[in-house]
Amino acid sequence: MIESLEGSLMQFFGAIAWGKWFSTLFLLILGVLLASFAARGVSRFMEDRASRHHTVMIRRLVFYLILVLFFVAALREAGFSLDVVLGAAGILTVAIGFASQTSASNMISGLFLLVEKPFEIGNFIEVENTVGEVISIDMLSVKLRTPDNLYVRIPNETLIKTRVVNRSRFPIRRMDLTVGIAYAEDVERVEKLLLDLARQNSACLEEPRAFVLVTGFGPSSVDLQFSFWVPGNQVLEGRSQMMVAIKKALDEEGIEIPFPHTSIYAGSHSEPFRVQLLRPETTTSKGDPDADPKG
Amino acid sequence: MTTSLETQRTMQDGQWATPYTLEPGQTQYHELSHTRVWVTLLEQEWQIRYQRMPEEEDLERWLQGVIGASPDPDLSVQRFVRPDDGNEIEYLPAMSSLATVIRPFQPLTIPADSECTIYVGTLLWMRILAGSRKMHLMELPLADPSLTWVGRTTMEGELCYAAATFARLVLDAVPKRPWRAVTPVRIVNQRHEPLLLERFNLPTPLLSLHRNDKGQLWTPGVTVTCETDMSSARLKIDQQLISAAGRCTLVAPAREQSARGGLVRAYDRIFG
Repeated sequence: MIESLEGSLMQFFGAIAWGKWFSTLFLLILGVLLASFAARGVSRFMEDRASRHHTVMIRRLVFYLILVLFFVAALREAGFSLDVVLGAAGILTVAIGFASQTSASNMISGLFLLVEKPFEIGNFIEVENTVGEVISIDMLSVKLRTPDNLYVRIPNETLIKTRVVNRSRFPIRRMDLTVGIAYAEDVERVEKLLLDLARQNSACLEEPRAFVLVTGFGPSSVDLQFSFWVPGNQVLEGRSQMMVAIKKALDEEGIEIPFPHTSIYAGSHSEPFRVQLLRPETTTSKGDPDADPKG
Repeated sequence: MTTSLETQRTMQDGQWATPYTLEPGQTQYHELSHTRVWVTLLEQEWQIRYQRMPEEEDLERWLQGVIGASPDPDLSVQRFVRPDDGNEIEYLPAMSSLATVIRPFQPLTIPADSECTIYVGTLLWMRILAGSRKMHLMELPLADPSLTWVGRTTMEGELCYAAATFARLVLDAVPKRPWRAVTPVRIVNQRHEPLLLERFNLPTPLLSLHRNDKGQLWTPGVTVTCETDMSSARLKIDQQLISAAGRCTLVAPAREQSARGGLVRAYDRIFG
């Protein structure tokens, strides 16, 4: 029994064309190595000549192209006919397509993203309440690094379907600050003061010019919109510096920034509220201003 | 922080491209433009501190001298390891790294088929070099430059520095300061209608700096020719300095080299 099993095993292993399989394996390994070297070389060549986004795209293209070429060569070496493989791949694609609709959708969305190029690696984007720097654009997803250093993976399909805001597309940005001032204050004086602050701030651009608009009469303040432009790389500092400067300047000029307060008004036709101060039952506190001894 | 009158009396005029020697432990103090600079040499390091002065203070001279008092410890300090044993420190002027938009306080009209030369003073940066090999330590603007955007839309264009000017037409009226470089700008209006000069873009990174016998800094002249419309003006940087500058020596080459020696640039945003 054992002898016959040994014999059949020997027959089986003897029938395998080992040389063919070794050269197939060799081609595959060579393909991976050459593709890696070529991708690295291309990346190094393009580093100083193109943007990070283009460098990564070309590097991936070169890698997969060489890998596919070697894979096809390896299949031929193994004795597979390419027509049959492609036919089988077609059937397989349909089967896999049904099974992995999400992945396929993400891959196709990824292609659209590459063509449409709404953002590049290194840009700051905002997707569904997530803000972050794009660190890679991959086949299935885009990876972001948020300002608080979280790694966020967003499927390509989501990026195609939803609203994406690219915050670094243009080199300059407008900052809109809402400043509320008390009703008693002179709006024109505050406007002049704010425009002077824009002139003095080094992060604030001279042109496009800063401007002030009155946006509404709020419940407790006159609301102004103070808009000024800053270079794209100084958005946070520009905003914060300006807010500090506004607070300081308004304080120095004695201009009130009101906090919400409510006036209770009973209307002209109704009786006014009757307010009466009552003596506390035990009046022990002499210094209490509310405790009027006369009642 | 102001220097005492006694210290001011002992101070001398500062000079560009002139090596000063300090002993370890000494501090050299400078007061120029809107900036105060303290350079201290220690056994193993150079320390540089600087502070802006209020813009209202308009200095005329660059005062420098070795001071006994140590700098205010509240000032932020930049430390540099000594590149060699040399005790020399040298200061070189440099033009800005971004183009500068010059905006006359009052717009100037140049009649049809005529030309004029205006004299523009631009802000300089101070390069600090140390040691016998003159290693570059740092560079600082001598006043806070303001930025502006030059472009047809907010989507395309470039960031530039902005400078207001009186656009003086008479050279003698231009105040000469050691920290300002004078550039003669010849504007040729070849159109058949007047040209209203509200602002124009001076390519400061392409200008070299030259010093004359009086210590004044000059750059080569710039000629802007406007033939048809304001958006297609040509700009040319002269090879020579104007004769009024006197005998000059080159103190700092241009930051960027122009594409061609003579440089005739067609620039679509010269007039903003």
